[in-house]
Amino acid sequence: MNYAQGVRKEGWWRSSAATFLWALLLALIAVPVLAATDGTVIRDEYRTFMGIGSRQVIWFVAEVHLMFGAFVLGVPIFAVTLEAIGAKTKDVRYDNLAHEFVKLLSAAFSTTAALGGLLAFSLFGLYPKFMAYMSNVFHDVFYVYALLFFAESFTLYLYYYTWDTMQKHKWAHVWLGVLLNVWGIILMGLANSWAGFMMSPVAIDPETNAFTGTVSQAIQTPLWHPINVHRLLGNIAFGGFIGGAYAAVRYLGAETEKDKAHYDWMGYISNFIGVAGLIPLPFAGYWMGREVYSVSSVMGNNMMGGAFSWTFILQAVLVGTLFIGSNYYLWVGMGRIPGAERYKGSIKFIEAILLICFGIWLTPHNLPLNPEEQLLLGGQYHPTFKFLGLMSAKNAVINFIILSTFFSFLLYRRGNKHDGIPFSRQGSKAKIVLCSVGAICLLVLGWYGNFLYHADPAMFDLPADRAKYFKVPAGLLFLQMAMVVVAIGLTFINKGKLGQALYLGVGVFSIVFVLGVYGFTIMKVANPLLRNIAFTQWSMMMTCLLLVSTIDVYLFAGAKEYGDIQWGKMPAYSQYILILLCMAIVLNIGLMGFIRSGLREDWHIYGVLRDTSPWAFTPTNATMAKMVSACLVAFLGIVSFVFWLTGLSKHEEGGGSGAEETHVVKGPVKGPIPVAGIAVGAHHRSADNLSQGLGVHRSDRGM
Amino acid sequence: MAEGKKSGARAAFIRSVVFVFAVLGVYIYIAEVITDISGQAHRGSVATGVGPEMGREIFFGKGKCSTCHSLGGQGSAVRCPNLGATAGADPPFDIPIIERAALRAKQRSEKTGQPYTATDYIIESHFDPGAYVVEGYKNEMPVIWKPPIGLNADEEMAVDMFLQAEGGSADAAAITNSPVFAKLKAGLATLTSEPAGEAFKPYLAGDPAKGELIFFDPDSPTPCAKCHTVKGQGGKVGPELTNVAGSRTPQFIIQSVLEPSADIASGFEPFLIQTNDEEFISGIKKGEDAESFELMDDQGEVRKIAKADIAKLVPQKISIMPGNFREILTMEQFHDLIAFLLTLT
Repeated sequence: MNYAQGVRKEGWWRSSAATFLWALLLALIAVPVLAATDGTVIRDEYRTFMGIGSRQVIWFVAEVHLMFGAFVLGVPIFAVTLEAIGAKTKDVRYDNLAHEFVKLLSAAFSTTAALGGLLAFSLFGLYPKFMAYMSNVFHDVFYVYALLFFAESFTLYLYYYTWDTMQKHKWAHVWLGVLLNVWGIILMGLANSWAGFMMSPVAIDPETNAFTGTVSQAIQTPLWHPINVHRLLGNIAFGGFIGGAYAAVRYLGAETEKDKAHYDWMGYISNFIGVAGLIPLPFAGYWMGREVYSVSSVMGNNMMGGAFSWTFILQAVLVGTLFIGSNYYLWVGMGRIPGAERYKGSIKFIEAILLICFGIWLTPHNLPLNPEEQLLLGGQYHPTFKFLGLMSAKNAVINFIILSTFFSFLLYRRGNKHDGIPFSRQGSKAKIVLCSVGAICLLVLGWYGNFLYHADPAMFDLPADRAKYFKVPAGLLFLQMAMVVVAIGLTFINKGKLGQALYLGVGVFSIVFVLGVYGFTIMKVANPLLRNIAFTQWSMMMTCLLLVSTIDVYLFAGAKEYGDIQWGKMPAYSQYILILLCMAIVLNIGLMGFIRSGLREDWHIYGVLRDTSPWAFTPTNATMAKMVSACLVAFLGIVSFVFWLTGLSKHEEGGGSGAEETHVVKGPVKGPIPVAGIAVGAHHRSADNLSQGLGVHRSDRGM
Repeated sequence: MAEGKKSGARAAFIRSVVFVFAVLGVYIYIAEVITDISGQAHRGSVATGVGPEMGREIFFGKGKCSTCHSLGGQGSAVRCPNLGATAGADPPFDIPIIERAALRAKQRSEKTGQPYTATDYIIESHFDPGAYVVEGYKNEMPVIWKPPIGLNADEEMAVDMFLQAEGGSADAAAITNSPVFAKLKAGLATLTSEPAGEAFKPYLAGDPAKGELIFFDPDSPTPCAKCHTVKGQGGKVGPELTNVAGSRTPQFIIQSVLEPSADIASGFEPFLIQTNDEEFISGIKKGEDAESFELMDDQGEVRKIAKADIAKLVPQKISIMPGNFREILTMEQFHDLIAFLLTLT
């Protein structure tokens, strides 16, 4: 065993021991509280911590813990995906990148555990009565949670430290990564069940407010899965953008062309992952919002039209920053792609669309204003613009923003390519894949179109004569089905670009301009149907992404290139966009946590256990922004410190940057191009390209 | 060379940190602006006295009515019927809610065979929102006198008066005489009642007339009217008690007299301010704007304190109502006072 191996082993024990200690501490503090619920009366409802209000302490600790949690749960998902891409294509770049991400992960894991312990201490100490209630409901889950924590930490360390030794059993190692994600997702689900119960408690005795159900009922509350899906996607986006910021800082400090190329590529992939997680998020959010509304119309209305309506304006600023920033980063990146100048003219139109949509999304929704406040705002709502703040307008523009971002990716992807091999000359595999994707699209569109066409208005509490309003969205879904057939047919006769244009064009027309406007009619005459209009838009948009990207893969299969992508040639300011994106996602996660938690208003457990502390009021958005900013500074500060420590360990091992740990491969390497979250197709690269520090094999690190 | 690498990385890191703080500064500035223009920073005034003014505040505030209902041109909510008259709208949305309520009440009477007034209809839409849903709208309105909104009888009455006043005039008597309002109060009493088997039995039978004297007489040992209003008489430091027995249990009323800090009424939470000059001022928050904070002391005097002069602002758990009534009042006086309060339904 050499020195580096010794350092690693020692690190493994240190990290494992820390995790074990925190889990033990968690169990130790849980036991007395659980015992207390068996008979001891807990007299103190609230305490303070060194004069600081209990809410501030919990807010800060919980938020920073959640940020770390999002990072350590999000990164393994795409790390193992990248590793699998590398294993499948034999392109070691992906394996290197996955390993670099996991290295950051292992360092951040102990911090997450430590913060989790601190949060548990704070909750049991500052909110004894509330935690007694929660322990009474969830005490069985606490033990399972602690055990899962062991399972996840040991799997993580096994995954990380066997990276080299299992190179010959790569797929077994990939499955180890999958197992890590399974533990992580179950852990996240259990923690989400607590938040879900606090918002939508079930099995409560109305007389005594005591919980009368089973643990299973307490976990499976109506909001559990919406929170699970929203957080899962959010974690992927979060991990991606954090990775992007890491790459950006390393890029800015890189001295060699090789390092610059490596971190430029890492930044690009991270941004891609971030956007891939971001795209479905608004719809996961919409689903969650809808379920919140179903649980309690009071909470639902308070969210979008009440106390938090202006918080959503601030959220729109952040989400707008994410989409516009990601697009801008891609456009700047096209500068290093020979041939991409062909598409320069299209960018100004995409930019205009994004800015207009952003403006509409920023338009405030309903506001709880009293006369004095109306005077402050300078009068009543604008007769026209007030409608832009309604849900129908917002649904239309978010779809348009996503489709425009997708279009940017298409342009970026085909930047340096000539036309590929005609589809008719491609093998049967291509035809089977395209037809299968088409069949999936037809199934989704057909199923929902059929449902709407035959839906009974009584299901929506609507009179029978409103059935005619269901026909328009159903008809558009059927039209889109026809376009699936047309687009695939055109691709088969080597007119795939026309097929793409028609499918996207009809999709945008239906989703944005027809249903966006029709939504206002629906809001007036058949309001409950609006959520189905939103789902219609979403399903059509998803088929646009799926079908058009699949056609695109085969359109450019085997295409000749104008030249190699000049990795490492990005201007410095482009890297600040990656840092900005990282900040926007971190601030957004804090803001959304504020809204989700704040919806309970003065209830710890909604409608069951009231918050009677002096802090039972909703803070202003300014207060929220300051608190979340403080959390961001703490989070990024600790992350930087942890990453710096990781760097120290690397120096001890005698390595340099991630790129320096590799050596250049002489010869072409086949590699995938990621499109919309999947890696498909073969892409030929020359040895010159690889000399940019990209096509590289890992050396025997630390041996 | 290695030194050069290190210094380059360090400079990049420092530039990144500066960038992060600059962006945070912009973000916080935007949040401050949004807080300011949304009126969030200016909220906090509390209307006292049951009436349309209090009802308006509840409509746009605690009751959350405005998140679903527009009021004529005010608001853009469309989930539930507009409660104002909208010029050019399809009938009946072009006439005021009180006239619309009269039409709906007539239909309701025909349907049920029971007499309904416009006021009955308005109250019923709060008491049992699913009873007679307007066509085209979903049966999704919450019962606002139950948690989580949980309006009390006074607040319900204020909202009803506010809606009466939209296109008509507020009529408190029509509300208090409404059989639906009686049902609502009975529902509230059930909601706040103690578990069965703990029915209230006074130790002594008090005399309400003597209790009324104790309440209103400025020379009585506990001149409650100095702070509380009953039927238009009294101060505004504490909550109005005109209908207190209709919405609160006897046990709760007794606890409020003997232990005023046990459950402080919403909107009457005390605050303690420490000024930069080391002056301590306590009282109930009556308003707040960007520059100042308004506090009403136990004498009913409102004092405006500039925020720039405030060193500390701390919410208090101790009510400003005296907590020594058990020492001041005799057993008989206490029961007389309680007997009087229990007549306030």
